[in-house]
Amino acid sequence: MIELKNVTKLYGKVIGVNDFTLTLEAGAYGLLGPNGAGKSTLLNLITGQLQPTLGSVRVLGRSPRNHAELFRHLGYCPGGEGMYSEVSGYDWVCYLQRLQGMSAKQARIAATSSLELVGMSSAMNRPISSYSRGMRQRTKLAQAIAHNPDFLILDEPFNGLDPIGRHELTTVLLDWIGLGKSLLFASHLLHEIESITQSFLLICGGRLLASGTAEEVHTMMVGLPNEVAIRTESPYELASRLMREHVAESVTVKGEIVTISTRNPAVLYEKLPAWLQDWGLAVSEMRSADESLQALFNSLMKMHRGEL
Amino acid sequence: MIGSVLAVFCFEWKRSFTWPRMMWWLVLMCFPIFIMGLVRYNALNAISASDRSQEVFLTGWLALCAWLLFALIPMLVAMLGTLLWTTPAISAELERKSWIYLAVRPHGSLSVVIGKYLTAVTWVFPPAILGLTIAVLLAGLSTWTEVGRVWWTMLRLVLLSVPAYGAIYLLIGVLLPRRAMTFAVAYTLIFELVISFVPAVINKLTVQYRLRSLLVEWCELSLIGPNGRPLSTSLTVIGTEPAWQHVLILMAMSIGLVGLSVVVLKSREFSSSAESET
Repeated sequence: MIELKNVTKLYGKVIGVNDFTLTLEAGAYGLLGPNGAGKSTLLNLITGQLQPTLGSVRVLGRSPRNHAELFRHLGYCPGGEGMYSEVSGYDWVCYLQRLQGMSAKQARIAATSSLELVGMSSAMNRPISSYSRGMRQRTKLAQAIAHNPDFLILDEPFNGLDPIGRHELTTVLLDWIGLGKSLLFASHLLHEIESITQSFLLICGGRLLASGTAEEVHTMMVGLPNEVAIRTESPYELASRLMREHVAESVTVKGEIVTISTRNPAVLYEKLPAWLQDWGLAVSEMRSADESLQALFNSLMKMHRGEL
Repeated sequence: MIGSVLAVFCFEWKRSFTWPRMMWWLVLMCFPIFIMGLVRYNALNAISASDRSQEVFLTGWLALCAWLLFALIPMLVAMLGTLLWTTPAISAELERKSWIYLAVRPHGSLSVVIGKYLTAVTWVFPPAILGLTIAVLLAGLSTWTEVGRVWWTMLRLVLLSVPAYGAIYLLIGVLLPRRAMTFAVAYTLIFELVISFVPAVINKLTVQYRLRSLLVEWCELSLIGPNGRPLSTSLTVIGTEPAWQHVLILMAMSIGLVGLSVVVLKSREFSSSAESET
């Protein structure tokens, strides 16, 4: 479906995408990378908005640049907003469907049903300027799916959505995948992608660092230092006890937060509840400091450079 | 593709019904009427009734009205109207970051450029034609034949100048989207208002030169200088080519420049990730 061969994209002296080679068959994929990793550049290359400086991009067997036929099968929800604030969501989606090649009647039907699907039917006749961020995200998604494309590209579609909105749109996207359609979902948050698909493409610094299922990525991470942050009222006591258990490579205390660096997080996660009970320590919050994925990407970058 | 162009055309027309745009529309229509009325009031007050009926006055008044209307409508209204609506056709979409939604549609960019161009042109026609009609009637020309001739001449000039200026500004907007307005104003001042009056071959590249030549021919204006020689001979600011040639060049220019805008647009990259053109 998508084939990138040694693709490099330069913005002057800045590298957007660096020697990227990738082949994707039809299916659902998560494009995961921190902000500035090159996700949007990659999506712009795939949608033909950018031309690679080096290498070649093929989508459905042809170059996507000025490829009208491809755009009939493609739905794209960009990361930015860029909607006409003075028009209604319905008029905007309708207009974009007319540009998709639909007749006025078909466009009206498509706009109504897609806005209904994303839960915007009650507000669709209001001007976009009156929409909340979440409503705008839903409207953006509606314009991408209204023409029933075979391949949907979403750039950070959950930005600004509340948990209920996320859940609803996750359901919409899962139903979409269930219809056998393809999806490329870009995000910098692991849990957003995990809720949609188990196939990942990890990119950072414009490079493809890893690809595969969540399990494969986790396997790859075994042995690499992971950081876990724990909030407790007795941070120094917890830090010293953890050091004595030899599960931590290093421990940092900052206020009430104890940050533990470990090469074997599975053991820590398994034994910590029992230890906390034995030690009589209360923990009010525990999260992976890698939640932003920056640490994961740093490790992968080091692996890529042969430093790990 | 025609359906997509039509969709852009209808959508943009619908969007143009806002108070600020309607106010501009009124200003464009009323300005020539106001100036014409003012000139007539002052001129007729300054000249006695007996002088007004003399042949010299009548010929001179016809020429004055023709040149004034030409400056106000096919020049000012056409230039200003198209400058305001076609120059930002693409840059406004880029600034708003809405370009990407249009560009990922089949023939999206092409439909948007042509649709917006047609919207701008048809948006400028009504105030120009309405303003012209009222201003000609206000001008106080001596016979209905003269009124009809001036109106018909100006109408044809408007129908030629609006698409031509629109195409030029559209191309400027596509080539230089970041400073489109600045470059469009600079082009107007340098080329259309200065170079068009330079008595050299370069003035033939301007729209003004063509329109001016058509005005003289269609209105049958005689241009005799103080030395008794025709001005068109001593100053090559008015062309001696046949009218059909000027008309053909203006039409070809309009179509050619819109086509060139489409080609330029298709070859350019407007990256949404970089949030500007690259």
